[in-house]
Amino acid sequence: MSFITAYCQISEVTCSVNGNVVVQKNEQSVDTWFKQLYKELALEYPKFYKMDMLAQAGFLGSEFIKKGYPDLIPSYSDDEIALLFANSESSADTDIRFRDSYQDRKSPSPSLFVYTLPNIVLGELAIRNKFYGENMFAVFPKFAPDFFLQYGNIMLASGAKAVLAGWLGILEGRVEVSVFLIEENNGDGLPFNKENIIQCAGWGDQA
Amino acid sequence: MESLKEDLKKHIIEQLNLEDLQVSDIDDDAPLFSADGVGLDSIDALELIVLMEKFYGIQVTNPDEGKEAFLTINTMADYIEKKRI
Amino acid sequence: MTYIGAEEIISPLGQNIKENFQAVRENRSGISLIPKAGFNKEDIHLAKIISLTEENKFEYLLIEILNKLSQQIDTSVISSAKTLIIISSTKGDLDRNISNPFEPAIGALAKRFNLKNQPLIVSNACISGVLAINAANNFIKIGLHEHVIVIGCDVISAFVLYGFQSLFAVSALPCLPFDKNRSGITLGEGCSAVVISNTKEIFKNSPLELLSGTSANDANHISGPSRTGEGLYRTIKKTLEQNNVSANEIDFISAHGTATVFNDEMEAIAFDRLNMSDIPLNSLKGYFGHTLGAAGVTETAISMQMMRNNLLVKSLGYSETGTSKILNIATENRSSELNTILKTASGFGGCNASLVVRKL
Repeated sequence: MSFITAYCQISEVTCSVNGNVVVQKNEQSVDTWFKQLYKELALEYPKFYKMDMLAQAGFLGSEFIKKGYPDLIPSYSDDEIALLFANSESSADTDIRFRDSYQDRKSPSPSLFVYTLPNIVLGELAIRNKFYGENMFAVFPKFAPDFFLQYGNIMLASGAKAVLAGWLGILEGRVEVSVFLIEENNGDGLPFNKENIIQCAGWGDQA
Repeated sequence: MESLKEDLKKHIIEQLNLEDLQVSDIDDDAPLFSADGVGLDSIDALELIVLMEKFYGIQVTNPDEGKEAFLTINTMADYIEKKRI
Repeated sequence: MTYIGAEEIISPLGQNIKENFQAVRENRSGISLIPKAGFNKEDIHLAKIISLTEENKFEYLLIEILNKLSQQIDTSVISSAKTLIIISSTKGDLDRNISNPFEPAIGALAKRFNLKNQPLIVSNACISGVLAINAANNFIKIGLHEHVIVIGCDVISAFVLYGFQSLFAVSALPCLPFDKNRSGITLGEGCSAVVISNTKEIFKNSPLELLSGTSANDANHISGPSRTGEGLYRTIKKTLEQNNVSANEIDFISAHGTATVFNDEMEAIAFDRLNMSDIPLNSLKGYFGHTLGAAGVTETAISMQMMRNNLLVKSLGYSETGTSKILNIATENRSSELNTILKTASGFGGCNASLVVRKL
């Protein structure tokens, strides 16, 4: 039996963990919203600042989950946590920035180009946590709970013992982010089914 | 030369998203690509090439040329002085 | 058992699988010098489908490939409720709509072919094709679908070319995978498809067997490959172990071989760690260029043709060994009993994937 044992939702102004708001955006701060969240986590990880917003979103969601669940990573061997992420705009947020970087006779930016693929966030999570397991990034027109349910179960049936999953809706200021953890255990957490996926991670209309 | 180095550090911090660093944190002879120094990586090296063109009009056509020149702020400043129009 | 068959390709080498394999058999390359294509208006070698002048190339290719593929399988399959389409692509229709690169083309495809299930888009850098084929296999084994059509498609764009140029990763000459003088990739475009099914009878020509594949991350760097080939090593090891296949049962390896200094070196190290450096190997990127999201599907399709014809095809662009671990790279075409082959792929984000195809 598998369960959603932790989840984090980030909008443009709030960050919640397991249904409870933990950070509200400080509109007075000079820091961007994501920088505020990074500082709230009190991490020493300067690579964060090189990431694009899509990668930062996945990173922040997973770090908030880890903060409330410090035993998570040590409980599994290094290839037992699979990564399963999706969104509806791929890497468009960074694609637009990269395209801007080479217009009007400016030179294309290599540090932006490397983020013009949506799966880079999986690479960042793998590097941060030393995950050597399965990866999948998919694109759907709308939030797709069936996909998470089906492919999450597929991953658990093919060798993963846990799945770190997420919907990373990032485009030109819109932030609709959820990261959730699915584990096989004895009954802690919400049963991993369509309804609970929508509750913990859903945004807008479903596919 | 001193203001060149200071400007260079400012440009590097901004272009490379070294957000928690100040100009005063970067020593002129700190190894830029070493983990004990500033800890830049291979993508940063390529961004430095873009930076050379953007701010100093210098075209680096071969990334290996960059490797030599970009060891420290001092070597970068020397390189700029030599190469720029 | 899961079957794989009905392979099709549209590329600079031809409009269908027959034309493509004939060209590969004759060691012809689809790479040509395209004037003023580069960021500084320099001429660049690309594997471009010159005859393709349609405005919405991505959509056009998707529809065309499914048309061709429909000739190779039972007519009821494409629009069956038991069929899923998976599209493997890195940038989709980027030039048409940068904020929504997939939906318009996918929507058109779904409408044209009366697809019953929302297509799944796998966008996972250069491993997308192999990952999509593995996902297809997984969906069928778990009983969610009976047939899955995997389409790999990416088109050349200034966006992608300029990006690779900013990484100094584009070769001035047609790419030379694994060669001592290699100096980067040659970008390509193309569209290819394979059908994966639990039902042998839907195929007009006999299919092959698809064994379950895996993926693994390097956990090292987002764009540079692991110096120890860790992710590639792990995925190949897992794929073989999970199917009870030993390394010495593999007759041939279709490697990723992009012709960058670091990628090819990484692959050589991984194959060596697995004691697989004696297995005949090639990269197909000398023929097709690096077709990104299409690569895994196109190269699996050609490997299947090699198996059907028992013909090991030469690794185009290779003449002298250029990796610290020496591989057994095919330097000429030769007849060979190819019963079991391994396909690998690696990509930005530190991802790696592998699969095995076997004759029935």
